Amino acid sequence: MKILSLIAKEIRHRWINFLLAVLAVTIAVAMFVSFCTAERASERETARIMLTMGYNLHILPENTDIDRFLLTGLSDGTMPEQYLEKLASRKGFSYNHLLASLQRKMKLRGVEIVLTGLAPELCPPGHKKPPMIYQIEHGTAYVGYRAAEKLGIEEGDLLELEDKKLKVVNCLKEQGGIADIRIQCHLHDAQQILHLPDRISQIQAVDCLCFAPTDDPVSILRSQIKSVLPDAQVLQSRSMATARTRQRRMIRDIFAVVMPGIAIACGIWIAVLTMMNVRDREHEIGILRAVGYGAGRVLLLFLGRAVVVGLLGAMLGFLFGTALAQYFGPGVFKITAPTILSPQLAWLLWSLLLAPVFSAIASFIPTVLAATMDPAAILTEE
Amino acid sequence: MIVIENITKIYQTRRGSVTALDGVRLEINDGEFVAVQGPSGSGKTTLLMTIAAMLRPSRGHVIIDGHKLYQMSVGKRARFRAREIGFVFQMFHLIPYLTVIDNVLLAAGVTADKNPTARAMELLNVLGLRDRAQHKPSALSAGEKQRTAIARALLNNPTLLLADEPTGNLDPANADVVLNHLSAFHKHGGTVILATHSRRAEQLVDRTVHLQNGVIGNSAGCSPSN
Repeated sequence: MKILSLIAKEIRHRWINFLLAVLAVTIAVAMFVSFCTAERASERETARIMLTMGYNLHILPENTDIDRFLLTGLSDGTMPEQYLEKLASRKGFSYNHLLASLQRKMKLRGVEIVLTGLAPELCPPGHKKPPMIYQIEHGTAYVGYRAAEKLGIEEGDLLELEDKKLKVVNCLKEQGGIADIRIQCHLHDAQQILHLPDRISQIQAVDCLCFAPTDDPVSILRSQIKSVLPDAQVLQSRSMATARTRQRRMIRDIFAVVMPGIAIACGIWIAVLTMMNVRDREHEIGILRAVGYGAGRVLLLFLGRAVVVGLLGAMLGFLFGTALAQYFGPGVFKITAPTILSPQLAWLLWSLLLAPVFSAIASFIPTVLAATMDPAAILTEE
Repeated sequence: MIVIENITKIYQTRRGSVTALDGVRLEINDGEFVAVQGPSGSGKTTLLMTIAAMLRPSRGHVIIDGHKLYQMSVGKRARFRAREIGFVFQMFHLIPYLTVIDNVLLAAGVTADKNPTARAMELLNVLGLRDRAQHKPSALSAGEKQRTAIARALLNNPTLLLADEPTGNLDPANADVVLNHLSAFHKHGGTVILATHSRRAEQLVDRTVHLQNGVIGNSAGCSPSN
């Protein structure tokens, strides 16, 4: 009789024990799948929510007076525009968004404004993401709330800055900060107006080394950036970066504590059920040994059963975990739920691979006990 | 030929050691039908288990056709047992969730027999169990259970059949049927060692060996000349 056939018949006979073992694997896999889904969704959700908080890294020209920058938010130095491409193409530099700008304080009809030229935002190659801020076309301008009010500018007006005419396409709402006195245009328009061709005054970035294993990611960043841009300095908005990192790590930390606990509990559960199965089948083991089954075949019999438990538990756990994520997810992750909570085939494959191994490991000690049982002792016990 | 060379088996128990076999020497020729008789606790089952390669003696050797059983590796001994030895127990020892045919086929997975199902059906036919092939043991009478156990023991065409009080749980009619099947195996050239209290068995065997307190007493009957 084939081992598989014997396993199938035994499962049919002791189906309660089998189903309880499958339930243990199902719970472990379902928790794994739902936690993975939650972690992924939480990360994306956090990223999306935090986009509104702005950039967390400033790369400034070497000649920038940092004290004045901190005071005004404006860099007085400039650096070549090519730095943006250079930085974007550097491997191992973790970022999601890079934005180059040229900013200068100037007077327009007696009103102090900040002219800000923005380059199109860059994302890492192959990671197209929606831009964090609006993309400004050549020859157009976005005007801050106070600037528009003081200068009497309305949408559709033509704005003349030096020799350059810009069409106002948007008058922004009140922000309560320096943005209210900005006039924003395309980088190349600003370079023309300020007579600073191919120059930028800062590069802003998001997500640079948020997951660095050290408490001082800026020192890593500085050395990374120095190798590409020797004449640049780095400033990190630590509170913003920390908030992002903490939020993202939160679910991961919960996952790291809860998942091993669940795995250990389910492993013990499976081990106890396998032990019960072995005790229940002592007599059968004696018969099998008497008809010539070696210890290896007895091992195979019990480990084969554990693998079946693992495979079935993996499939049910994946379905259950995905269903949990899809049922509860949209209530928790309101923004990213539609794109994030879809079933992940890769997790099914991982579950199908790991759950049988997990089940076999949990069953291993009782299985070894079964394989080393003395058939003579069992069969003469009446 | 089976040579039992000065076998001693000592069990260690909480109350001390118990000597089940004490220097047993026995030679059994191929094709011989030997009954082992003795009171309960005399060491009959221990002797059979030792010959069946299932119970390592504390001292001595069991040699079957020149193979020292307990000098083989565990795996090799299991394969030897599957190929060469059939065992019939007093308590039948059938697996309750398998049908009669599946119980018989249990031994098939271990050998390389190409068509074990045909052989199993043939045995069930000979043993009068053809119609019971798809029944579970719970639906069988005691006699049918024991015949199923005999079919299982014979599936791999063993040369040696060991039967440990196979009629102990049967009524006289069923006991006769079982003994006749063991006798038929013997008549076809097989060696049978039968532990029994049955007087009827004495009429079928070539020789009776008496075991008392783990020691072989006098032998009765004659050994075949081969």
